[in-house]
Amino acid sequence: MSTPLTIPKLQMSTTEGTLAEWLVDDGALVEEGQPIYCLETDKSVQEIEAPESGRLVQKAAAGETYPVGTEIGEITSA
Amino acid sequence: MAKNLAIDHDTLREIYRQMSRIHEVDKAIQAGLSSGKFQFTYWPLTGQEAIPASIAPLITEKDYMVTIYRGIHDQVAKGVPLKGLFAEALGRVDGVNKGKGGSPHISDPGSGSMLTTAIVGAGAPIANGLALASKMRGTNAVTIVNFGDGATSIGAIHEAMNLAGIWKLPVIFLCQNNQMGEYTPIPEYTASVDFAGRAAGYGFKGVKLDGNDPVVFHNGMKSIIDEVRKGNGPVFVEALTLRLGPHAGVGDTNHLSKEDLAAAKAAWPVPCTRALLLEKGICTEEELARIDEDARAEVKEAVAAALKSEVTGEDEMLLDVYADPTVVPQRGQRDKRAAEAPHTGETREMAMFQAIQDAQEMALQLDDNVIFLGEDIGASGGVFRCFQGMQAKWGERIRPTPIAEQAIIGAATGAALVGMRPVAEIMFCDFMGVCLDQVVNHAAKQRYMSGGATHVPMTIRTIAGGGIGGFGAQHSQSTEAWLLHTPGLKIVYPSTPTEAKGLLLSCIFDEDPCVQFESMMLTYTTKEEVPLGDYRIPLGVAKVKREGTDVTLITYGWQVMQCLAAAEELAKEGISAEVIDLRTLLPLDYDRILTSVEKTGRALVVHAATEFCGLGAEIASTINETLFSKLKAPASRFGAAYAPIAYSKIIETAQIPHAGTIAARVRELCK
Repeated sequence: MSTPLTIPKLQMSTTEGTLAEWLVDDGALVEEGQPIYCLETDKSVQEIEAPESGRLVQKAAAGETYPVGTEIGEITSA
Repeated sequence: MAKNLAIDHDTLREIYRQMSRIHEVDKAIQAGLSSGKFQFTYWPLTGQEAIPASIAPLITEKDYMVTIYRGIHDQVAKGVPLKGLFAEALGRVDGVNKGKGGSPHISDPGSGSMLTTAIVGAGAPIANGLALASKMRGTNAVTIVNFGDGATSIGAIHEAMNLAGIWKLPVIFLCQNNQMGEYTPIPEYTASVDFAGRAAGYGFKGVKLDGNDPVVFHNGMKSIIDEVRKGNGPVFVEALTLRLGPHAGVGDTNHLSKEDLAAAKAAWPVPCTRALLLEKGICTEEELARIDEDARAEVKEAVAAALKSEVTGEDEMLLDVYADPTVVPQRGQRDKRAAEAPHTGETREMAMFQAIQDAQEMALQLDDNVIFLGEDIGASGGVFRCFQGMQAKWGERIRPTPIAEQAIIGAATGAALVGMRPVAEIMFCDFMGVCLDQVVNHAAKQRYMSGGATHVPMTIRTIAGGGIGGFGAQHSQSTEAWLLHTPGLKIVYPSTPTEAKGLLLSCIFDEDPCVQFESMMLTYTTKEEVPLGDYRIPLGVAKVKREGTDVTLITYGWQVMQCLAAAEELAKEGISAEVIDLRTLLPLDYDRILTSVEKTGRALVVHAATEFCGLGAEIASTINETLFSKLKAPASRFGAAYAPIAYSKIIETAQIPHAGTIAARVRELCK
């Protein structure tokens, strides 16, 4: 089982977000609620927490801007 | 907080349990949105958990609740099932409203959560209707309507407070003052020092309570709810709290300084109440951990079940617009609905206003749930004389109102939500403008938004003053097109006393919101023998008022007599015009329209309403599409010129179709 990580729509006006930085290495184990990446939008910079516990698979490069809904990674059952 | 807690321990533990459930729901939504797993608009309630949690032990599912888009905390505490709540927020079939309303439009009558509005302040007039139903039925239920401080600026709240005061309704106006009207803090949008103080202006009590202190708030609400339950009239409660999140979306509010935000988070009622339970020895850490864990597990299970549920599909698109899906106008649909049987019973000569009163008396006799609301309908007998002697005879079922159309329609909608059959008079159809939100955003859409969980069997009667002259631009319009553009309403427009009675009775006992337009041109002038007793004309059935072979005139209301006069004139020239009176504008009787035009090959739709974007254009277009190869001339429409109705009699006569101009248009068609 895996849970996809997609660029979230955090505000009504958000259409895209910048994956500023991965806070956890690719392939590392994460705990639910642990900050895993920094998201930058026109309004703010926010740490995004892991929705589940498991192994993080990164699928997108940091420093790039992606439209809302883009899959940037997933958390697979450890 | 008080040293010795003025609350029993079980109650405080229960309040915390609700706060924990609300918090877990909030957390799960924010986590789902952050990870991109959920995509919907969220109006976070973080910081306001203590308010509904403290009220929950004081009410049951028999008490009604109305809330707003920022109302998930209210829903959770009221008892809306979490699986249905999450599935609704995700637009799934297992949502409490089949995924057709979404989180801003939850209705769950099973828990007493009757309506959730996304229009600021609009819930208050509807809450009055729920409270009115309880009061008239003699139950001791209380209605609580939640809204934010931002809503105190809007007219609907003021109209509702005034009506609740004069009718002493068992309703609590619960203003969750979170210090912010969307993105604008309080001192920027009002000069009022507080909101509770406004209640005195409407003749009832206003109370300010700390909505973040569950002990104080619960105790304050306990005595208020007791009083309201006893029938002592409404109370306005200003519950002081602080919104920790943004207006919409995820994250912290950006209206507080770093220091203020830190202080606000330190005062956040969820951890504070938990700490209090621990400090006072009411709960052990293990007990609290179990409460939190149970809430977490309940939410997790609900989210998982909601995600398994399918996204509501297209097959639901046209369901729940009306009770009967065949009412929805669709290209190619021409069901033949059965007409009324010829009347054989007793009759009496009546003008339209008398036939309407006769229908109203009949409805009151037939069903205890029928009530009437409107301006001046009491002892004065109604501005249009449709209520003569009725208040003396029927007492409080005839309810004269303040001059406040939003309050009138809201009260009718709320009462209808719980099965009453209210009939509201809006004096002139021009005044629809001041209650349009209640009509189009609430009454009309409620069945659909609630996925059929609720519906609004109410009727509005309204007068069109045009054609007489001298009423001016704000008392002479024909506003039916405004309403026809709103899915969910049924519209009738009688042209004879008998039809006014028969259609009105059908409307009152219909399960959908209906509007009857009555033309002042016809109210007093024409008299005819009207069937006595329970006489009804089915909705959606047009009637041929004059047979003809060369052209079909399709019309309604007072333009029927203009078309009949035009047909008489045309007959002298050898043009045989058939005149169809639509009688009901929605559901539209396409079958009888098309059957006639198939015979004549020519059609002109005539109405007093503005021609541009009017019903005539819609009908003419359908005729042209459906019968293209059979037409001798393109079907056309003829309505009022594109100008406000003028005060000058000469202009008004010229701008609205009449027999002479209708005949001229027909001659063009028949060339």
